[in-house]
Amino acid sequence: MFARRAVFLTRLVLEAKPADRPGATSARVVNEAEIVLGQRKLLQRLVPGLMHAFIFWGFLVLFPTIVLAAIDVAGGGDHTPAWYRDLSDVFAWLVLVGVVTAFVIRKIVRPARFAGSHLGEADVILALIAAVVITLLLWHHFGDSGFAWAHLVLIGLFLAYIPYSKHLHIATAAVNVWMARTRQRGRLEPLRFDLPDDQLRFGVATVADLTRKQVVDAFSCTECGRCQDACPAYATGKILSPKLVIMGVRDQLFAQSEEPIVGNGVPEEMIWDCVTCGACVEACPVSIEHVDHILDLRRSRLMVDSSFPAEAEPMLRDVERASNPWGKPQTERAVWAEELGVRVLEPGDAAPEYLYWVGCAASFDERARASAVATAKLLKRAGVDFAILGPREACTGDPARRMGNEYVFQAYAEQNVATLNEQGVTKIVASCPHCFNTLANEYGDFGGRYEVLHHSELLAQLVDEGRLAPSASSASVAYHDSCYLARHNDVRAQPRKLLKAIGRPVEMERSGKKTFCCGAGGAHMWMEEHGTQINVERAKEAAATGAETLAVACPFCTVMLDDGVREVGADMRVADVATLLAEALE
Amino acid sequence: MILVFVDADELSAQAVGFARGLGDVRAVTFEGAYQPLAWAKALAAQEAEAIVAAGSDRGNELLAHVAALLDVPFAANVTAVDGDTVTRVRWGGSLLEEARLHGEPRILTVAPHTHPAADIGDVETLPAPDDGSPKVIASVEESSGGVSLRDAKVVVSGGRGVGSAEGFAIIEELAGLLGGAVGCSRVVTSAGWRPHADQVGQTGTKISADLYIACGISGATQHIAGAKGAKKILAINTDPEAPILASADYAVIGDLHEVVPAISAELKRVRG
Amino acid sequence: MVLAADAQALETRHLGFTISPHEECAVEEAVRIGGEVVVLTLGPAEAEEQLRDCMAIGADRGILLRTDGEEWDAQSTAAAIAEAIRDEGGFDLVLFGNESADAAGYQVGIRVAHVLGLPVVTGLKRIEVLDGTVRCERDVGGARDVYEAPLPAVLTVLEGLNLPRYPSVPGRLRAKSKPLAVVEPVRPAQGLEKLRLAVPEGQGKRAEILEDAAQVVDVLRRLGVA
Repeated sequence: MFARRAVFLTRLVLEAKPADRPGATSARVVNEAEIVLGQRKLLQRLVPGLMHAFIFWGFLVLFPTIVLAAIDVAGGGDHTPAWYRDLSDVFAWLVLVGVVTAFVIRKIVRPARFAGSHLGEADVILALIAAVVITLLLWHHFGDSGFAWAHLVLIGLFLAYIPYSKHLHIATAAVNVWMARTRQRGRLEPLRFDLPDDQLRFGVATVADLTRKQVVDAFSCTECGRCQDACPAYATGKILSPKLVIMGVRDQLFAQSEEPIVGNGVPEEMIWDCVTCGACVEACPVSIEHVDHILDLRRSRLMVDSSFPAEAEPMLRDVERASNPWGKPQTERAVWAEELGVRVLEPGDAAPEYLYWVGCAASFDERARASAVATAKLLKRAGVDFAILGPREACTGDPARRMGNEYVFQAYAEQNVATLNEQGVTKIVASCPHCFNTLANEYGDFGGRYEVLHHSELLAQLVDEGRLAPSASSASVAYHDSCYLARHNDVRAQPRKLLKAIGRPVEMERSGKKTFCCGAGGAHMWMEEHGTQINVERAKEAAATGAETLAVACPFCTVMLDDGVREVGADMRVADVATLLAEALE
Repeated sequence: MILVFVDADELSAQAVGFARGLGDVRAVTFEGAYQPLAWAKALAAQEAEAIVAAGSDRGNELLAHVAALLDVPFAANVTAVDGDTVTRVRWGGSLLEEARLHGEPRILTVAPHTHPAADIGDVETLPAPDDGSPKVIASVEESSGGVSLRDAKVVVSGGRGVGSAEGFAIIEELAGLLGGAVGCSRVVTSAGWRPHADQVGQTGTKISADLYIACGISGATQHIAGAKGAKKILAINTDPEAPILASADYAVIGDLHEVVPAISAELKRVRG
Repeated sequence: MVLAADAQALETRHLGFTISPHEECAVEEAVRIGGEVVVLTLGPAEAEEQLRDCMAIGADRGILLRTDGEEWDAQSTAAAIAEAIRDEGGFDLVLFGNESADAAGYQVGIRVAHVLGLPVVTGLKRIEVLDGTVRCERDVGGARDVYEAPLPAVLTVLEGLNLPRYPSVPGRLRAKSKPLAVVEPVRPAQGLEKLRLAVPEGQGKRAEILEDAAQVVDVLRRLGVA
């Protein structure tokens, strides 16, 4: 039974579209060690983490007992060495502790993250595990081969059950961790449009379009719900649950369905609720990459079916026709800069040390512009050689890409890379974490390789070097980590260094890698939101710190949280770190 | 002699005023169902050094037909004439073109609201026999009551500052007096004070009104995106730093709960 | 609005080009009506991109009357278009946008109809093709005027006629290989000869502060809305 199912599952993986996950062997080995052996992600929650760790480590240590039990049952006697008997007993008891804890969590505590999961299956599995371990302990204690026999039978049952249940993760989790991204978590994998018709892939419409990584993702889901718990959309009443998305894909996959996944395994609304914040991916103990699934489902719906939330259409048309999502004239981009005497590069000019990529938000939105103005003033003051592209800076294409319009994104990627390369740009500093992410991680696929810094990184560096010397203060300032900085790109320390230099930083509960989205990601800046708003939710959290100021490092976060704070009625000022730094220098 | 086609509307009165600046005016009109080509033939058959009409839908259409019949150029939406040089409007008013109008008679329509109205005076009715070309065969009443947001010439819009669903009564009053539609910002629809159909913005309706009056609206980028199609924007806000002021042509710094009723009262007063 | 140095055209270095919204609705309507749809434009070589966009939403082929970038007035534009249509022959319906978003001459469709000897109805918000005729509607104040014309006919339409579809990527890819014929008509002497362009006063937005209701009503009357 096991073998037959194993063959079926292996076939599903092999028949899937290839996943582009090259090299980086050493990083993958480190991941295996930390995430699988070390149970790092699971231990993000201490009690459930330990519960699972005990069971998992127990499994590893107890594995040889199968051989030993088989020998005994075959008549060869109990060859278990004494040290191993003691060791395995200890671990067997740990497993039992784990199982009991698991039952307590599931039956008594009943955390919300299990909503939608198949709890019955879990009970069967836990009972089987307990039985396997109890028979082992009984065999060790009483020496009766009958217990060894029972032990083996139960293991056999367990083996057969594994590939038909969510316990399949035993076999596939380690594989999934191996295949996961080792770097550039913020980079979406590009599609190719220059292939012959029959090889074109426009994201995922049916299970036949899934990549091998996506198939192994589906196999590895244990329905633990940690992703669901972390999801800002789910937390504010939307129907999106990353867990349910993966379960939906898995069910369609096992059924070998030819129907579109959206509308059959995964409700359409779910894929558009996503803000691509990556909290789900961060939380997942088996390295499932939910954002890739959701984005691929979006790509197919948008690019092939032309089906997507209507309110985003003006943005898509504006990005394509006006080169920015607000549909404002490109000639307006540099107006603020000219007034400050910032150099605007013309073709043929020598490249500056840093190309300051302003971004559409700062160019066209008054609230976001404050950050660019401050950044430019600070860079000038510190004597940094920088310039901007002005009207030749087109949208990086991030909103189109996150919406699922890979085609329009690539047109802009190619255009911007050509502009940057012709200009001889090597170093870029960007204010917007979305621009930053795209320039640093995604333009490489289109021939654009640059050293990219977020403005908070460069400003922190300048303060470190003494080129900017702000005056300290004891005013409290809370910091909101942007998803695309803190989670996708690990930029957490530098903004904090800046804030320490100019005030008294206060951490929110959900901060750093665990930050809670402002709600604008995944092109949601241009989409309607139903139910409780994510930005209001986050603004409440910020207001609860009691700090006078909420510091941010992203133009979207600025606008969303400013709106949120106003709506909540809190007496809190929302400002970019650059603005605050500039003020501390006056 | 300047031949002016007139309808019974203010734009025609403006066109007559404009034409009087060019010479003696002969104002004409037609009776019966509108039949563009037949009416144009009648106009084209008249002797005139110039044929003028208002830059309305009908005026532009008629004179385009006349120009085609006579195979001469036609300048639409003119704001000024100097000899054979005309200044005309492009890009919905954002750009002016100076051009030389060759050929006779000179055919042009007058850009709306660029010239004061004049007393039309005597109007001749010309005969225009049915020539079998397309004409109006029926008139269908619009099913929707009230002015649609998308087509409205004036939109009076309320934002967070209005404070409540009931607060919109003063907005509705002003909109009614101006024959316009009521709009709102996203905060208002989220709060449930107005339906989504009233929402002006990137994810709501993009308006193309002649005037947008934004009351208590701070002016988020997405909202402005829906309003930027308006030719003129008047902002009423207590905050002189509100982002909307950067996009407004006119502003009143004050509380909309006082300002809006005051405007309505003044309108009623001057209308008598 | 930024003019080029010689004030003959808009500075287009940083502008993207697009189809006028009225024309976009015309193309969408044509695709919905069905049959063979041909898109035609008079413009510089770059206008091919707009023709391909039309093909991406369903037009079958395109004709580019290629100019060297100089503007053509409405009369000469119409003459060139009419000639191209006459050369092609066999059209049941010729659709135009009512006026172009830029030059807004309001006359090309009408002039083409005259040259081709076809009936024309303009400013349409609704089109219904019946057997041998077309029934169409136009907004007039709070009502709609209804016209009927025999086919073949020329119709000009307004935005609001329909909601143009968003092109699919497979559609865009297919459009790359659909047929596009290029013709180079000769530009005749211009009847409406553009001398120069100018930006009207008061383009930069700085809100004029109004002090009281009387001032506001004054402005309202000046704008023609009160």
